[in-house]
Amino acid sequence: MSALLAILWKDLVSEWRSRDRLVAMGVFALLVVIVLYLAAPPGGGPEARAHVPGLLWVAWSFAGVLGLNRAFASELENEALSVLALAPVDRGFVFLGKALASFVLLLLVQAASALAFALAFDLDLRPVAGRLAGVAALGAAGLCTLGTLFSAIAVRTQYREVMLPLLLLPLLVPVLLGAVRATQALLLEGTLPWPALQLLLVTDGVFAIVSFLCFEVVLDE
Amino acid sequence: MSVLLRAQGLAKRFGAVTALFPLDLELEAGRTLAVLGPNGAGKSTLLRLLAGLARPSTGALEIDAAARSRAERRRAIGLVGHASFLYPMLTTRENLVLAARLHGLDAPGERAERALAEEELLGVADRRAGALSRGLAQRVAIARALLHAPRLVLLDEPWTGLDARAAERLTRRLAALPSAGRALVIVSHDLGRVAGLAARALVLVRGRAGWLAAEALHSEAALAPAYAACVEQLEGAA
Amino acid sequence: MTQSTSLPRLTAAALGVSALLWAFFVWRAPIDAMQGPIQKILYIHVPCVVGAYLGFFLTAGASGVYLWRRGERADRFAAAAAEVGVLFCTLVLLTGPIWAKGTWGRWWTWDLRLTLTLLLYLIYVSYLLLRSFTEGSERAARFSAVYAVVGVLLIPLNYWAIDLAGGRTVHPENLGRGSLGAGMGAPFALGMLTAVAAFAHLLVRRLEVGALRAERERLDAEALRREA
Repeated sequence: MSALLAILWKDLVSEWRSRDRLVAMGVFALLVVIVLYLAAPPGGGPEARAHVPGLLWVAWSFAGVLGLNRAFASELENEALSVLALAPVDRGFVFLGKALASFVLLLLVQAASALAFALAFDLDLRPVAGRLAGVAALGAAGLCTLGTLFSAIAVRTQYREVMLPLLLLPLLVPVLLGAVRATQALLLEGTLPWPALQLLLVTDGVFAIVSFLCFEVVLDE
Repeated sequence: MSVLLRAQGLAKRFGAVTALFPLDLELEAGRTLAVLGPNGAGKSTLLRLLAGLARPSTGALEIDAAARSRAERRRAIGLVGHASFLYPMLTTRENLVLAARLHGLDAPGERAERALAEEELLGVADRRAGALSRGLAQRVAIARALLHAPRLVLLDEPWTGLDARAAERLTRRLAALPSAGRALVIVSHDLGRVAGLAARALVLVRGRAGWLAAEALHSEAALAPAYAACVEQLEGAA
Repeated sequence: MTQSTSLPRLTAAALGVSALLWAFFVWRAPIDAMQGPIQKILYIHVPCVVGAYLGFFLTAGASGVYLWRRGERADRFAAAAAEVGVLFCTLVLLTGPIWAKGTWGRWWTWDLRLTLTLLLYLIYVSYLLLRSFTEGSERAARFSAVYAVVGVLLIPLNYWAIDLAGGRTVHPENLGRGSLGAGMGAPFALGMLTAVAAFAHLLVRRLEVGALRAERERLDAEALRREA
């Protein structure tokens, strides 16, 4: 447990000092908002609004992947990854620490970009803010769990930046479908569909358990 | 003398290529084992197998017989590798505190302070690890490796990149390490340094191992010809 | 080495016989009343689906065995099964739209089965790319094994997700017994058999290639040692 917290602390502090992941993710999400705004003018009313949930998740998932790509980059300098691999703890806890750090960063970017979206598309998110945050968090959790596992794999392949989305996206379909469906219902009707939430919860759980167990093998040389 | 390390038939293959042929090895506490050999012989592979960073293809490895899982076995090991294993964005102190916490040590802050004092690193305690010279980084790496009082200390080419003074310092430090509860394995191609330190030496050539007689390790003068002869013999056998 | 040449001959023979019978029955099968002659492409499409999914499960199974026992042969089997499987999957995704365009008038829909098969294809491709781009054959074996196992575990989740998104509508559900017209049963059954035979034959050949490659690697390494 202390290992988990130690890793979480290390990632967040390193990030705070360099801010490279956060800035990259944030700028990227902002760019997506701007481009999508230009592509789909908000004056269109309900028809344009219908696309917003999907667009939101496009921005969030791409920003997430961008952040995850760099999750293990810092570990390669000075072979610091070996420190984590050598720790006398179940390597699943190393996974949890890294995943949580990515999760926190993604949540921050999600919040900022949601705000940008609301401004650009003239949406009032206040009545659904809490529930939207919940859905965003569930989606981010799915992204960050499986994403951390595959990031640890991708970082030691030849085309690591391309490898992560390639590995991750086909398997992320349940998360994306559930999250988009839930966000859609939330933004357009103000309701939270239980089936979609169920899917998200189960998927997140499966992802977390699988990633936890596989990390022992992945962190070997 | 308790046996800290026991390997039987330890081998490592990468696909069809054998990096390490089956090897038997035993190391008691208080002893230092030198692993010698030309580049690409499999020395680093052996070390990584011993450290638990890689899994052997065949064979059994026993480190600290009481350990019940891979994780627990790692507790007994301290590794100093080619790279410093330090996070560049964290300070020296923070790197050590992190290591202490990863090992679940009590009072990680204090342990780190003590280690800093012992290795005379208090002056650079608050400098970012990325800004340290090779020699200093090496010393921090050793401090980190010894933090949790490991029973088996593994070092991979530790004298690389050190100036004469730092190298001397390291040699003295390593000489003082083996004790009732601790053993050392040093991989090096620096015969001179190793001659005074190790009681036994293993020579690896292209994955095959040969042992040197204890007398050869008394001085560099004795070691060099014995080593050369062993290498030639192993190359012939390969 | 000599022992391995008898198995490919066996599978080749099985494939040959099966394929001939199948082709005969396909040629003789009646033309579908509603769909017209394009329906006959299904005699390729459906068997290929068998090959595609068979490959996927074999890869995942072999990967599981590899993670458990770390045997090199399990890893080579997984790689071979994946390559053969992706071939069948490609055929599925080519023949399907051709048929769809001929009958529904559209190349593609986001129906459950189509989407699932497309995802399967992407997972296959990612698996093979992962194998190619990982440095170190042992690492490649380990990473791809993890990926294959994770991939197969997620099939039920993918199914659920796509179902939730309302993808159950378009693809024909003709698995019931009486739904096939007279004279169509034989070609379908033989098609499945041929697909399995083809899969087996290709797999055996691919395994041979894998074994030869491993042998060459070993010989290369030895030669390198001797001359160095």
